[in-house]
Amino acid sequence: MAQSNSLKACVPAYLKEAQLIKQGAEARVYRATFLGRPVVIKERFTKLYRHPEVDEKLTRRRTTQEVRSILRCRRAGINAPVVYFVDYTTHCIFLEDIVHSVSVRDHIASAQTPQHLQALVEKIGEVLAQMHDEDVIHGDLTTSNMLLVPGAEHQHIHLVLIDFGLSYISALPEDKGVDLYVLEKAFLSTHPKTETLFERLLKSYSASSKKSSAVIKKLDEVRLRGRKRSMVG
Amino acid sequence: MQLTQDLELFPEYTVTQLLFKDVKNATELRKMAVNGEIKGALINPSMVVDAFQILVATNKAVHLHKIGKMKTRSLYSEIIFNLSPTNNISEAFKRFGVSDSDCAVHIVLVHNKEENLNVDDIISKVDGQQIPVDQVSDLMDAAKIKKLYKVAPQEEKCGSLLDAVVCRMATKDVA
Ligand SMILES: Nc1ncnc2c1ncn2[C@@H]1O[C@H](COP(=O)(O)OP(=O)(O)OP(=O)(O)O)[C@@H](O)[C@H]1O
Ligand SMILES: [Mg+2]
Repeated sequence: MAQSNSLKACVPAYLKEAQLIKQGAEARVYRATFLGRPVVIKERFTKLYRHPEVDEKLTRRRTTQEVRSILRCRRAGINAPVVYFVDYTTHCIFLEDIVHSVSVRDHIASAQTPQHLQALVEKIGEVLAQMHDEDVIHGDLTTSNMLLVPGAEHQHIHLVLIDFGLSYISALPEDKGVDLYVLEKAFLSTHPKTETLFERLLKSYSASSKKSSAVIKKLDEVRLRGRKRSMVG
Repeated sequence: MQLTQDLELFPEYTVTQLLFKDVKNATELRKMAVNGEIKGALINPSMVVDAFQILVATNKAVHLHKIGKMKTRSLYSEIIFNLSPTNNISEAFKRFGVSDSDCAVHIVLVHNKEENLNVDDIISKVDGQQIPVDQVSDLMDAAKIKKLYKVAPQEEKCGSLLDAVVCRMATKDVA
């Protein structure tokens, strides 16, 4: 189990020179050059409070899920960063840097009026419908986990999904409904007064997926459960 | 003409790639690689989309070599194995290694930065014409590559053929 430090030494030395762009609770995200190209490196680190073996397994699973779902999305023509290299000893994923991108979160926050955002939320609904049709459940849908590449024409919105560490494969409408519920919660709390906009996203989702009616039905059920819980709690 | 790239993760190593066409002694070259006369990987250029694909395979090979987890016997065979989308070693060699009837060869050398690499010595062994490495995309068989890596047309909506190939190579252990 224990890897000697000399064996693991290459990646940490490299990351010391890299630019840290995000320090999260489970991962650090860096920018650097790899094989001459700009990359983003996602390093999952150990949680000292967890049992080492449990932790190792969990961290490895997250890394594995992330690269599997990225590949599954890309196979289906859904934009996600290309994986260049995975180091399972240090739990690092080397990804294509989506250069000049802004998160959908920042984009929405800086938009003048919700009208400017209609085409964008329609695109999001369409992409998520496509993803769910491939049975990929993202597990952490937020507007921070969607990147927008500017420069593209108005009609063509270039949207890239990221952060698949909590993703898994499921065909169940319930799982897809919960995925949308997580997004709805995050969306409405990060972007106040966007209820109509989010409705529009769901409408586009429904129009884009053949299996959407069962999913939306589940979403309604989950919402109701959520409301009941908050009334009790 | 040749292409040299440092491996940022392994600063002591450098990768040099050479490309040849109109090669008449592929059989002989293959033997030299087997008996160690040529210390390098001899690859069939029709399976190479871009030099970056080779770099991804080489970086992974050096990494696995360092942690003692290679699936094959040498660094050079590991580079060839890493190019393949499957875990079948003999199939990887058949598809990606140079074969006797090939008339083009892509050579990959991994060397120490300090060490004086004798490229001329290797060039002199090849009975063929050296061409710039970036011309490897002119030699590729795109249809064969798409079939082997199972790249459907829809995937090219979200990236190039190189993206599709590299992503499969990098994730094949868990895919
Ligand atoms: N491939 C990429 N190209 C450009 N920027 C990226 C890329 N991947 C991540 N980023 C940036 O880094 C941020 C954090 O990445 P990510 O969401 O994958 O990590 P995280 O939120 O820390 O992960 P987790 O939720 O698993 O802890 C993103 O919001 C985005 O701004
Ligand atoms: Mg995130």
